[in-house]
Amino acid sequence: MRPPSAARAAFRRLSPRTRSALLHRIGRFAPWEDGFDFTPPALGAGESAGAPDFVGIGVQKGGTSWWYELIADHPGVTSRTDIHKERHYLSRFGIEPFGDTEVETYHGWFPRRAGTITGEWTPDYLGYPWVAGLLARAAPGAKLLVILRDPVERFRSGLSFRLSLGAFATEATLADAVRQGFYAKCLRRFLDYFPMEQFLVLQYERCAVDPAHELDATYRFLGLPEHRPDHLSRPINVSGEKVAIKQDAIQRLTDLYAPDVEDLLALFPHIDTSLWPNFGTSPA
Amino acid sequence: MTWRTALADGLHGLSPRAHLVFPSEQRTDLRHRLGRYRRWEDGVDLSPPLRRAGEMIGPPDFVGIGVMMAGVRWWYHLVADHPGISTRGGIPMDRHFLSHFATRSFGAEQVAQYHGWFPRRPGTITGEWSPSYAALPWVAELLARAAPDARLLLLLRNPIERFRLGLAQSSENRGSQVGTHVADAMERGFYGAQLGRVLEFFPAGQVLVLQHECCVADPVAQLALTYRFLGLDDSHRPPRIGPRNVEAERSIPTADPDAVRRLVGVYAGDVKELAAMVPSLDLSWWPEFADG
Repeated sequence: MRPPSAARAAFRRLSPRTRSALLHRIGRFAPWEDGFDFTPPALGAGESAGAPDFVGIGVQKGGTSWWYELIADHPGVTSRTDIHKERHYLSRFGIEPFGDTEVETYHGWFPRRAGTITGEWTPDYLGYPWVAGLLARAAPGAKLLVILRDPVERFRSGLSFRLSLGAFATEATLADAVRQGFYAKCLRRFLDYFPMEQFLVLQYERCAVDPAHELDATYRFLGLPEHRPDHLSRPINVSGEKVAIKQDAIQRLTDLYAPDVEDLLALFPHIDTSLWPNFGTSPA
Repeated sequence: MTWRTALADGLHGLSPRAHLVFPSEQRTDLRHRLGRYRRWEDGVDLSPPLRRAGEMIGPPDFVGIGVMMAGVRWWYHLVADHPGISTRGGIPMDRHFLSHFATRSFGAEQVAQYHGWFPRRPGTITGEWSPSYAALPWVAELLARAAPDARLLLLLRNPIERFRLGLAQSSENRGSQVGTHVADAMERGFYGAQLGRVLEFFPAGQVLVLQHECCVADPVAQLALTYRFLGLDDSHRPPRIGPRNVEAERSIPTADPDAVRRLVGVYAGDVKELAAMVPSLDLSWWPEFADG
């Protein structure tokens, strides 16, 4: 039963930490939180479960919710509204056993109608060093999607997002936000397990400028026929107040990322760094 | 002591079991409302301590940059026991000053402020040991600007052991972002990448890499090596030299053999990189990586 709108509005006015605490008291947890029940959802009539056909692995604050919605709009894709786009199932296995039972449970999170494909987009996967090996075991044939964004802008947006959700501003929070921008380093871990042709690397900036073209490329990559969603240009979760970064700190961050961006270009020459305000042209 | 200080200290001293009824995030929230911050938290006062009569200030002569869970507190206190070292009660071993400048300006004023954290008596040297510095990608450059001549100490431990201990220590904070919490503990073990970053700014001769396991097995020899590296008389012997085995008191999850194999896979390339940079590294202390 849905609570009345006044109650929902009042709830939204609470601080993120208070909201979480209340939800936890009634047994509601998000997939990224300790306490979430990973028992797979029941299959609907005519549905079957199996390995995901595609997995979005990054990046946080790269417009992935928007892009996932556009993919899910395709009639050839199954996406159930009661299942979060970010399954986060593999996030838990840094040190826990991961065997056939866990693989089967993971597959249980991907119900699909006959003749359709399905998948997930957990943008944190890219930065978790243990995920590539597990994904290769649980879904070796999955097509991998990544949307990249100017790493300094991603850092600013990612940090702002974490703080807005109630994270404390500590050195660990900062370090996590910085580390997620070393794209080449993170992608290399996945390239150890998956062939290059299983990757589609997009740029947020290009998707924002020409979504139709980039979406066509995405559908083709997923083996889907052409399709045009009603609403194309609707970035989600990309606004909000941003953390202030001093100009000299921006330069230090740019210098910090430059070698990784260079490595990224060596791996994926189609990346256009002229779209990234802090890099402009190729650092090479 | 004000009631605010007393209450904040009480919160700080609560048993880890207290999180069952008073979650860590809410305790932290309350502590911040009382104006108390830990040194690695945004909001802490970075003003240096007052200089006492006869003291001088300047850049640190040595900086321990890592790593957490490798016995750095034990080793710092052995270093600090030397009569040629200045330490002062009330100034923590881990200044964490540079942790705060990922997004802030760092110019001459901040460099001077950092130096203010290192009072020393004439004829002695002084320094700090902030074990998270190595894992914070922005610190090496700042340290090279603020203390280009500092000798750097890096005390390492088998990355798989370090990961397990790190996870166990921070398990009460894992609630809101489980994966990020685990990733943070894992990232701190990529020593090769961390040292590589440091060596972009400091010559190899300015860095001493120690191994926890070696220090436990032969603390006398390793301490003498440390003293020599710092330019101190190596014949000094602290009265109590054995390790403080605080980790053993914590409940450490038993690692699943399959998970350990996966961890070896995650760390193997980095350990190889580390060994190439540190010829003295003895991988026989880290049996999972001994075969290269």
